[in-house]
Amino acid sequence: MLSIKNLHAEIDGKKIIKGLDLEIKAGEVHAIMGPNGSGKSTLASVLAGNEDFDVTEGAITFLGKDILEMGPDERSHLGLFLAFQYPVEIPGVSNINFLKAAINEKREATGEEPITAKEFLQMVKDKAKLVELDNKLTNRSVNEGFSGGEKKRNEIFQMAMLEPKLGVLDETDSGLDIDALKIVANGVNTLRSNDRSFIVVTHYQRLLDYIVPDFVHVLFDGKIVKSGDKTLALELEEKGYDWIKNEREKISA
Amino acid sequence: MEIVESKNTTAPLKELIKSYAGPGKADDAAIAQRLEKLRFPTRRDEYWKYTRTRGIEKANWQFSQAQEIDEIAIPESIGDGPRLVFVNGLLSKEFSITEGMPEIESVERNYSDERSIPFNPLADLNQVLPQNTFRIHLKKNEVWEQVISIVHIFNGNNAISQPYAEVILEQGASLKINEYQLHRGAKTFSNSYTKYDVGNNAELGLDIIQEGTNESFLHTQTLVNQEKDSRFTQNTFTLSGKWVRNNTIVNINGQNSEANLNGMYIPSGTEHVDNHTIVDHKVAHCESNELYRGVMMDKSTGVFNGKVFVRQDAQKTNAFQSNGNVLLSDFATINSKPELEIYADDVKCSHGSTTGQMDEEALFYLMSRGITEKNARILLVNAFAEDVLAEMVNENLREYIESAIKEKLSGASNGA
Repeated sequence: MLSIKNLHAEIDGKKIIKGLDLEIKAGEVHAIMGPNGSGKSTLASVLAGNEDFDVTEGAITFLGKDILEMGPDERSHLGLFLAFQYPVEIPGVSNINFLKAAINEKREATGEEPITAKEFLQMVKDKAKLVELDNKLTNRSVNEGFSGGEKKRNEIFQMAMLEPKLGVLDETDSGLDIDALKIVANGVNTLRSNDRSFIVVTHYQRLLDYIVPDFVHVLFDGKIVKSGDKTLALELEEKGYDWIKNEREKISA
Repeated sequence: MEIVESKNTTAPLKELIKSYAGPGKADDAAIAQRLEKLRFPTRRDEYWKYTRTRGIEKANWQFSQAQEIDEIAIPESIGDGPRLVFVNGLLSKEFSITEGMPEIESVERNYSDERSIPFNPLADLNQVLPQNTFRIHLKKNEVWEQVISIVHIFNGNNAISQPYAEVILEQGASLKINEYQLHRGAKTFSNSYTKYDVGNNAELGLDIIQEGTNESFLHTQTLVNQEKDSRFTQNTFTLSGKWVRNNTIVNINGQNSEANLNGMYIPSGTEHVDNHTIVDHKVAHCESNELYRGVMMDKSTGVFNGKVFVRQDAQKTNAFQSNGNVLLSDFATINSKPELEIYADDVKCSHGSTTGQMDEEALFYLMSRGITEKNARILLVNAFAEDVLAEMVNENLREYIESAIKEKLSGASNGA
């Protein structure tokens, strides 16, 4: 589904991703862990098409298409979704209206009929329930005045509405209390299916107790330095990121 | 010693009298004399610093008697309600719908206001040669439920139009007006002057839509007098036009009154939009709110100058003023100057001006959800304008304005 080969990316001339390879098949959940500054969030931003970052080398193909030349909107139409680490507040743009516009733009791009009002409202009702998002919030301006937890739940709500093929969760767990974390994880788990994959970027192992990954990768200094199954996350939790650091230093020494 | 740099009335403007057919024609000599004395601003005139009148002074304007308009010239959003339609400043009986309209009175020529407004030769020009003057007059406690429309269509060739109107609301009267100032076709200059007298406990709501062409000049002088317990709201939406200058002056003469002046402008290309407002709090316990929002595209230029006076007697005044601008291009310019002059000591006043660019983070966020860049920009601009749109007196104009914004932004990439 997603294939990243030898990816190099930088921001303002500063190299962040330095030769990253990753293969993700349909239905798989991959966790990406790593210390602060290792390039986790940059990877998520680059996947979504944030133009602040320059891809200087390498390739990303998604569902057989080269997406590096595509805008964020086209990537979304293809089925890519990024749940933001820091969801943006957009005063004056209603959550609901913008989601309806987003769904219809995707439908237009793929040659489908626009969603009917009835269909849409039913969908909002169902999906909001999934993450226990208050009706009032769905009608408000995008993320404006939302609490941290509400913002993250709104991200998952949007993901559920847009039904992507690949969901990229950028530190969705950071700053969440345990109840909110459970709600978010439950939302994601409900969306898991054989043809939908996830990249779960996180700093903490705890999230992976609730969203159990098929693979865990450790990102360090812009590269994946270790891959394994969910037990790797536990090992990492136990030994700390210094373990990776020391190991890398040994190799380079 | 005051040095007055004088710039005499240009020859073309003196010729105006030849095509003038308004009230006072018999008084030609007096008119000619007044025309002769008009002085136009130079760069030294602070009140006109960023808005030049040269394009108006030099052109060969003529009053037009043309009365033809396309059916489509009248926007659908007006509906079938009562309306007065003016073509090139003259009332069109054919296109007006007087059923449901308050009675219209005619006005005698009146020069008495000329000293009560800051230096403005264009307002003077209107006063010298006013066209088709009329007055809407609501008597005591007359509450007009139905929104009335005033539609001005300017479509002559090198045509000047100088509408003069008065709206008088006696005690307890209430009126809502949709006003359209629409320039269509060839080179046009509309120079209107409107007076609003809002009596005790009376209420006036006004939404104005201004549309121009790349050869249009639009100037308005608005003078409002508010008495005790009155409410006045004016929302001005400037959607297009080569040159636009609006002057609004509100005198708050009676206690417990409220004045709201809002505006939204979205110039593109090399369009120029200037809003000058003066709110004069003369008495205590009144409130004024001003909110102007600008979306500046391409090489457009904009001016906001809002002055609030709080006189010594105007204790317990609440005066708020805010001008926000978003620059969508590196070449657009805005000159924003909110001013407060306070002589009372127990008041709550604030003013502010912000200028920024499109929020790139929000743009990326919307696009990452599948919204194209163009539509994401439209959403964000509408959101920016929303605070002003929310103040609209007549919600039925919203769609008209939103679709104009959409059209304007859609044409942006073509370098319009």
